[in-house]
Amino acid sequence: MKRKGLMTIVLAACVAITSVFSGCSSKTADTSTKDNGKITIKFLHRWPMEPNKSFLDKVVADYEKANPNIKIDMQSVANDSYKEKIKVILGTADAPDVFFSWSGEFMYRFVRENKIYDLTSALNQDGWKDTLMESQLKPFTLNDKTYGIPYSVDGKVFFYNTKIFKDNGLEVPTTFDEFLKVCATLKSKGITPIAFGNQSPWACIHYIGTLNQKVVAEDVRAKDYAAATGEFTDPGYVEALKKYQQLIPYFNANSNAIKHDQARISFVNGKCAMMYCETQEVGEVEKLQASDFQWSMFKFPDVTDGKGDQTKLTGAPEGFVISANTKHPKEAIAFLKYLTGKEVGLEEVKDTGILNGMKDIYNTSNADSKVIEAAKIINTSKDIVQWLDTDLNAQVANEYLSDTQLLTGGNITPEAMMQKIQKVAKQVKSGTN
Amino acid sequence: MKERKIAPYVYIFPTLLLVIVFVYIPIIQNFYFSFFKMSSYSTVKTFVGLKNYIRIFADDIFYTALINNTLYAIISLIFQVGIGLCLAMLLESSFVAPKLRTFFRSIYFIPSVISITVVALIFQFVYTPDIGILNGILKVIGLSKYTHAWLGDTKTAMYSIIAMSQWQYVGYIMMLFIVAIQKIPEDVYEAADIDGATGIQKAIFITIPQVKEMTLVTSVITVIGAFKVFTEVYVMTTGGPGTSTQVLGTYLYRSAFLNDEMGYASAIGVIIFFITSILSFIQIKISKSGKD
Repeated sequence: MKRKGLMTIVLAACVAITSVFSGCSSKTADTSTKDNGKITIKFLHRWPMEPNKSFLDKVVADYEKANPNIKIDMQSVANDSYKEKIKVILGTADAPDVFFSWSGEFMYRFVRENKIYDLTSALNQDGWKDTLMESQLKPFTLNDKTYGIPYSVDGKVFFYNTKIFKDNGLEVPTTFDEFLKVCATLKSKGITPIAFGNQSPWACIHYIGTLNQKVVAEDVRAKDYAAATGEFTDPGYVEALKKYQQLIPYFNANSNAIKHDQARISFVNGKCAMMYCETQEVGEVEKLQASDFQWSMFKFPDVTDGKGDQTKLTGAPEGFVISANTKHPKEAIAFLKYLTGKEVGLEEVKDTGILNGMKDIYNTSNADSKVIEAAKIINTSKDIVQWLDTDLNAQVANEYLSDTQLLTGGNITPEAMMQKIQKVAKQVKSGTN
Repeated sequence: MKERKIAPYVYIFPTLLLVIVFVYIPIIQNFYFSFFKMSSYSTVKTFVGLKNYIRIFADDIFYTALINNTLYAIISLIFQVGIGLCLAMLLESSFVAPKLRTFFRSIYFIPSVISITVVALIFQFVYTPDIGILNGILKVIGLSKYTHAWLGDTKTAMYSIIAMSQWQYVGYIMMLFIVAIQKIPEDVYEAADIDGATGIQKAIFITIPQVKEMTLVTSVITVIGAFKVFTEVYVMTTGGPGTSTQVLGTYLYRSAFLNDEMGYASAIGVIIFFITSILSFIQIKISKSGKD
């Protein structure tokens, strides 16, 4: 009997010990380890799809070859999931050393929690700062400290089918009223004026963001977009939503059930005449288009009775930041500098059609006519206005996102929608005080 | 003698430890966090007392979610349990040749073993307005006035998601009922035949009462499942359009990871916990009274 009891206790102890060990093993793996003298940098980006995926694979491989003591551990997560995953990862001790971030409020919220490495002093060394476009560094700067470096600059423009315009005797509209007339003409000829896929509501947010900027006075908008002072009571916001409503009859049907990528296909195959796209998408259109597809781009027309700024371009740079808890800041900065630098930038324009934050990064040898057109539009805009959903605090942004789908489907009025936004803004304001 | 009695407890102990650490302690922690205001990456927690709960009860989206979950539960009961039972009775009756029974059982059961994410993606395609199969079939059979933007319209989106769920799980519930029906002794049916009972009378007066316990089990599975639903909604519409398809699970996720409000999400979690606990408690009570 004694033997049986002893065996029982020994076996149970084995079960307990193995279960404890299985929980421990993940902790002993260090994130950036020094292994055989090699330093591992964890790198996270948001492009598991082409063309950026292969491009970044190449960049990492080239860097590892040039720097044999560095190993880059690269991972990628797609757009919508990235916004959620990064928030969880940053709450753990396992944060990647170099990772992707949108600029503006999206990054600022992490800066406020001390999760992002301050790059200001590194930028002032060796003239790094002077090689970058200042307008593209501003959205990555908070309280005079810069935290991120742009990897892609972006602006929102209307892509349009030049052949359809020519065949119907249409000119590029410069004012919003002219734009509506163009749409009406197209619709009367049986052509869908605007391709629009709003199943992921950021597509509509881009329209609303631009309209807010053009209709609402700049100082009012700046006050409302800040979490601590946001009220959204200016009638201009309702006006902006009403102008958006004027566009709805000219969208393709069922826009809330179609994704942005699907809508783009109907632009590229000529079913729709125009589409509001990011300049980043030039490469993706060129991949899809037939050889005889003729298209160009124009900026969002001026809203002549709007009180806001008509010249700024809606868009925001996207880039990379370094974790504040990185164990290898020097190596991380070196990789970041390479990733966003001139050598990679020239290849980036050629392979993906995306422009990075460096000055003079494109020329006729590495960029085709569309990319150069996009670059000119970005460079000639005196300033940019960021995407509404990365510029606002999370709760107000999410309220805007879900309500714009209702607005598009005709399930809510502009006045009622702004009332909901005002309620959330009030909650946020009282939360920060 | 004493050593013999310790042995079972010693064996249970490691698993008990795991359950306490990974299930019970997080539930208690969740209660704790629901009294704070914090985000998933914040370094400080702010104590706010019952503010999160007060906000929940004034929150329109929370009530939308609650209604959606309840709708899910009711429709699942009618379709999965109701139709599952009918299908089971049909397959076990003399209407279906014994050779075909395995074939039909497999066809109905297979959807329930496919991953929910895969099914959701497939149905997203089925529901697409222009090139989707559903609208395509309606047009072909001449019912094109019923075509809809199924997932893009606030009136039809939730029902479209619930419909997909029924398709997936009817077969599973049906299998459970088939097992229960097969346990009914043959002589009860023979006695009924001698008395001259028709097929339908046999079904109503013999089969249904005999599978009462299985009916309770499947009802509980479907109702509690309806309150825990997440993947179907998240993959198909992420709670849109607007907030019309939000359910408690997706609203919790949105508050935690999109709105940076972990405390509020914890409060929602506590409420889900209470709802499912009460439902389970009711189930235990009913099944115990059934045994008398």
